[in-house]
Amino acid sequence: MRITCIPIVITLALSLVHANVATDNKLPRGVAPSRAKMYTPDTKGQWACLDGSKTIPFTAVNDDYCDCPDGSDEPGTPACGTGYFYCSNIGHTPAYIKTSRLNDGVCDPECCDGSDEFDGRTHCPNVCEQVGAVSRKEREKLERVHKEGNRIRKEYVVYGQSSKKKLKEQLDKLQAASASVKQAAADTKATLDAANAKLKEYLESTKLEREAARERQLAPLIEQQTQRAEHANKIKNLFRTTLDDLKENHNKNFHDMAVKSTISGYDEYLEELKKQEEDEKKNDTKDKEEEKVQSALERMHAAQDATYDAKKDIGLMFQLIKEMKEKYNTEYNDEAVLKAIKVLDEFAPTWEDSSNDFVGEEFIEIPDEDAGDKKEEVKPEDKGALGEVYNRLQKGASKIGLGFLFKGPKVSKSEIEIAQEAYNKASEEERKSLEEIQKLEKKVNTDYGPDEAFAKLVDQCIEFKEIEYTYTVCLFGEAKQKSHSDTSLGTFSSWEGDNYDTQLYTGGARCWNGPERSVKVMMTCGTENKIVAVSEPSKCEYLYKMETPAVCHDLSEDAKDDSNSNLREAVYPGKKKHDEL
Amino acid sequence: MALVVSAVKREDFKSCAQSGFCTRNRAYADLASETPDWESPFRLDPASLQLEDGILTGDLMHTPTTSSSSAESSGALNDGYTLEIHLLDNDAVRVRMSERDPKRRRYDGLHKTVLVKPLISSSQYDHLARDENGLFTINYGSQRQNSARIRFAPFQIEFLVDGVSTLVLNEGGLLKIEAAQARNDVADTRTRALLERRLEQGMWSERFKDIVDTKPRGPESFGLDITFPEIEDVYGIPEHASSLSLKTTRGPGAQYTEPYRLYNLDVFEYEIDSPMALYGSIPFMLGHSKDKTVGVFWMNAAETWIDIEKIKSTSGSNRKTTRTHWYSEAGVLDLFVFLGPTHRDILKQYSSLVGATALPQSFAIGYHQCRWNYISQKDVTEVDAGFEKHEIPYDVLWLDIEHTDGKRYFTWHPEQFPDPIDMQLHLASKGRKMVTIIDPHIKMDKEYHVSIEATDKSLFVMNSLLSPFDGWCWPGSSQWVDFENPRAKDWWASQFSYDRYIGSTNTLFTWNDMNEPSVFTGPEITLPKDAMHHNRVEHRSIHNIYGAMFHAATAQGLTTRNETLQRPFVLSRAFFAGSQRYGAIWTGDNKASWEHFAVATPMLLTIGLAGLPFSGADVGGFFGDPEPELLTRWYQAGAFYPFFRAHAHLDSKRREPWLFGEPYTSQIRAAIRTRYSLLPLWYTLFQEASTEGVPIIRPMFFEFPSDELTYRMDDQFMVGDALLVKPVTTAGATHSEVYFAGNEKWFDFYDGQVKRGPGVQSVPSPAYKIPVYQRAGTIIPKREKPRRSSKEMENDPFTLVIAVDSNGEASGRLYLDDGESFEYTRGDYILREFKVQGRVLTSRSLNRQESETEWSFIRRFSSLKVERIVFQGLSGPVSRVVIGDRPTAVESGHDVAGGQYVVVVSKANLPIGQDWSVTLL
Repeated sequence: MRITCIPIVITLALSLVHANVATDNKLPRGVAPSRAKMYTPDTKGQWACLDGSKTIPFTAVNDDYCDCPDGSDEPGTPACGTGYFYCSNIGHTPAYIKTSRLNDGVCDPECCDGSDEFDGRTHCPNVCEQVGAVSRKEREKLERVHKEGNRIRKEYVVYGQSSKKKLKEQLDKLQAASASVKQAAADTKATLDAANAKLKEYLESTKLEREAARERQLAPLIEQQTQRAEHANKIKNLFRTTLDDLKENHNKNFHDMAVKSTISGYDEYLEELKKQEEDEKKNDTKDKEEEKVQSALERMHAAQDATYDAKKDIGLMFQLIKEMKEKYNTEYNDEAVLKAIKVLDEFAPTWEDSSNDFVGEEFIEIPDEDAGDKKEEVKPEDKGALGEVYNRLQKGASKIGLGFLFKGPKVSKSEIEIAQEAYNKASEEERKSLEEIQKLEKKVNTDYGPDEAFAKLVDQCIEFKEIEYTYTVCLFGEAKQKSHSDTSLGTFSSWEGDNYDTQLYTGGARCWNGPERSVKVMMTCGTENKIVAVSEPSKCEYLYKMETPAVCHDLSEDAKDDSNSNLREAVYPGKKKHDEL
Repeated sequence: MALVVSAVKREDFKSCAQSGFCTRNRAYADLASETPDWESPFRLDPASLQLEDGILTGDLMHTPTTSSSSAESSGALNDGYTLEIHLLDNDAVRVRMSERDPKRRRYDGLHKTVLVKPLISSSQYDHLARDENGLFTINYGSQRQNSARIRFAPFQIEFLVDGVSTLVLNEGGLLKIEAAQARNDVADTRTRALLERRLEQGMWSERFKDIVDTKPRGPESFGLDITFPEIEDVYGIPEHASSLSLKTTRGPGAQYTEPYRLYNLDVFEYEIDSPMALYGSIPFMLGHSKDKTVGVFWMNAAETWIDIEKIKSTSGSNRKTTRTHWYSEAGVLDLFVFLGPTHRDILKQYSSLVGATALPQSFAIGYHQCRWNYISQKDVTEVDAGFEKHEIPYDVLWLDIEHTDGKRYFTWHPEQFPDPIDMQLHLASKGRKMVTIIDPHIKMDKEYHVSIEATDKSLFVMNSLLSPFDGWCWPGSSQWVDFENPRAKDWWASQFSYDRYIGSTNTLFTWNDMNEPSVFTGPEITLPKDAMHHNRVEHRSIHNIYGAMFHAATAQGLTTRNETLQRPFVLSRAFFAGSQRYGAIWTGDNKASWEHFAVATPMLLTIGLAGLPFSGADVGGFFGDPEPELLTRWYQAGAFYPFFRAHAHLDSKRREPWLFGEPYTSQIRAAIRTRYSLLPLWYTLFQEASTEGVPIIRPMFFEFPSDELTYRMDDQFMVGDALLVKPVTTAGATHSEVYFAGNEKWFDFYDGQVKRGPGVQSVPSPAYKIPVYQRAGTIIPKREKPRRSSKEMENDPFTLVIAVDSNGEASGRLYLDDGESFEYTRGDYILREFKVQGRVLTSRSLNRQESETEWSFIRRFSSLKVERIVFQGLSGPVSRVVIGDRPTAVESGHDVAGGQYVVVVSKANLPIGQDWSVTLL
């Protein structure tokens, strides 16, 4: 209501209105003793709503009619429904409930004293004694668990801190040693580079001659290999068309999981393909700038790669349709599905009989450079023949210590071989050292909590058996769902929030038509490390509830700090909310 | 490679060209329009006319003229046709036409299921009179205001109200009845013209996607044109995802190329703005113009198509005439004409035949939380706790198919739902209910009690070879209960008794899905038309009512499971005329998109106009993941759907109201709480609908019938006669264009700001609310305390929100009863009328019976209080308020801008069940 002029209170017969004020201590019903001073009238018997928006006669407090916009005038009736009602719960712990839950016919468990239902329609017995007893027992049990858990936690902290110290020491040591290792690698590298430079120079000088020979040697083989690639591509395209057709024309009403999963597999393949094409495009533009002429060997490799890629794709699509064929619902008679299976069946014999591979042997073997042309008989006077060329080159190379380039009895290791071996050894040591340092750094940098309590959990694997699945997590590692096969639910990525009680595991296997799986591990205090419940609140987003001593704080110690514990009162929820903001 | 994946698979469903009888009837219409001076070949024999006990009978003959002879298919085996015109006691007229002596008996049993009671003939009519033009006229109705004027040759019936032509049958000469005939394969169709071939397409069998409809009875379709003279807008014939005012499908510039189709089908992610068939069918059409209103009910449950054309009026009026052409595949031509004279009269006349909506249990109009699927008892408890924690009211939690043991309905998944009774009791302790899904396909399983019993009792549908029909649905191989068999209904109902449906309690209710019926392996995903029901009734003849029969049987089961009868609650996806007697329906598997959200409004308005007011659309959209803004806007609009349920697909992300965080949680909470505060108004409107047959949410034209600007308005609507609601169906909107009809004021529901009609105004629609306005002259009853469920509100006091009109007057009603039983039918209810006149508000009883004190509800609840009364729109200040002789606390003020005075009477403490008055001085 937009009322722009100040409302005029016209007629009030206050004597007719009975305020529902508790008689004993003048405390209005539903108001906690600690808030009593907020509910005192001024000298004229007026009272201001707690939000200050309005002044009303104090007799209108708890008169079962909502006057204040914030509902503060009705702490003891459901009239406003927006405030909170204080249940003293003598014998147990005081609590607040929403005033909308007063006189609604439900004995709210929060008010064990039954004070929330007072209109006579519903009788709620006072069960605070029993509830309090049970609650105290639970509290004691909880305290015991926390005490024991806290003891274990302290051990964890000791372990965590000493392990961190050890790791740091180890790391320092390795880092100190790494300088000499690096130097050794650099030195051997220099030696090797020099030897290689010599080789390169030789190869450059004989390049044209060798390439021409190689061209002649490989030309017929390249042609053969290219034909095989084309053949394989034709079959690949057949499968592509078949699956495109299936995807577009299958009957979506059937929700046949076998068909759905084949199509989603195909979609993943298409996506992968798209990525590759984009990458290639980028590379293509680079290549064009260089305008490189491909050597015979490069072309041979390209043809081999093309054959291999096509066959790999065929294999994948073949498998997709095959899986569908094994599981699809034959009752549906979905034409598109049947068509795909027909293609598979026609093709299957050539594929599955490995002795009769549909493209013949996948690769035509590439002969060594000096193998010559087998058909060729070398005549000494024929200077252009391959054999003659190689003979000549060999002689030249031998003179500069590069004889090993050509086949023949080897007497000793060449200079380059020795340099290479030395470098390999040194660089392997460097790699190992770096790896070790990185591993240690990662461990040292992982957040095991402010006092390192969680270090003890590293690589501890726990599991939870449910009806269909077993759920596992190796803490700070990977979470999995296991049935007949394992599905990754994600690897440790971070803590959530600052409380060190919730871990996130992300990047698990992608769901059909959904996100990558992920897990939230919520930890509560317990004396051993175990998962107590697993749920999937949202599709492919899992929630593990786990118990661990690592989050146990001693409750009795907390209580000791609070010297007024006996007088503690429930915190007014409205206020608490405000504080949280 | 970009693959275009369209949502609906159009090719899964027939176009008119793929349907034999649709093609034949449309071809006949083409023939008529291509033939100069076309005349219907049907003639009535004047000598045969007899009028007795309100029934006029006569002989119809089919005598082809030269113009129509080419349309004659050879081989008809009949002795002419009969015409019957029944004048009924509710002023409706029934017109039937059939073969005199059919060689094959046509299905004529629909009246048993559709009509609520045997028809009673009227005695209010004059003798048949022949006028100077040789036309016969019968005047009927209490004032003899209605007339039926009959022409013999060519045959035609014209209905008039006070001498004004209102509806004409066969004016276009498209009447066609395919008589039983011998199969004639002689003609070589290839030599014939296309039109001729179309006139005989698919008479003897029809193939669609590898499935052959064997058509053992041959062609038996019939068609008729129904003309609405000088009426440009026609409405109804749900269910289509289309506009409120129906679009043209024939003639130059037709908006659709296909006719509107009525054939209950399970359509996956249906297309928007299309005449394609959906889950339900109601062959009821309303024509409305400024001067006249008329209704037609085409009582047929076979596949039916309707063409709509707007033609020049013969009278020379500027207003166009709407010509509709109806054709059905089987059954008899049996239609009802309602002449009103008002649209409310028409709905009352129509509902007196097929029934008005049943008064639901009061919880059913609260908020429903659904998802495919809440997967376990623990899941249920957690979702319930979420509502508690976030202080969002709800009444019902729903369980979809996964709750069962292997899709065997009436069972529970043993691991996930180990103690269903405990689960229901936990919710019931807070006044909440549960709903489980029960579908009509029964898993073929020799260990499953429902399957065993139905097999033993021969209660399943047969195939065309009369062996049990076996199709595929959720459980795999399944069978369908044959509700055409009268024994099946009682048997099915008995499955709901507590000792058979183990784990059910009296707070468990039912959801009937997939009842078109959906058959994954069937033609167009449904039962084959040549499947066979009890008494050799072909499925073809009763397809569109199958779902409603299932719905009825389930409702019976829930009603009779208790010792004292309780009102049922059953939600159904398929529906037919009369489904309103069994429960609610929803608009099926929509999508989380703004377009699907927007089309829900015209769909629900249309369904309501066709006599089925208890309907809703899945809030949030079934398929996909709504962005939070869409979800919130949908909740804000859904709070004003008669049936208010959120639902989501198995593959969609969770979307319970609190999952998107602030500000969305608060906005959704506010929307749901608004619904709860208005439950007294909703329940009162349901009571009105249950006696008057009127819709609950209404198109603007329904409340402003003479305002032509409202005739095609379907993006805003009225709740009852009092509230105007405009859903916000675009992303990022901060303002909405709202049409304020009439010359009176409209009061903003949230802050009382005043708008004046008529005209469109841009009003703010920030994220937290949509435009809702109270119409001047109305009184709305509310309950303002936020509670957990509707049950918990039953003892709460009322607020009356009054918006007086420019004469200082307003009126409204409040209906209350126990919300569960049938005691109200005996008189145990409270019905009040509130009126403001001359600055005095009065409350008086409209209860029919006097001895009110003997009723338990009245005794318990008549002392409930009206605690607050808000007067808006007063023309002058108020100095004092007097209730009887009691001085009363009030607050008063005025809105300077509008010059409107507002008075709030607090602590009025007026008992709801008593007469009283409040005087403003």
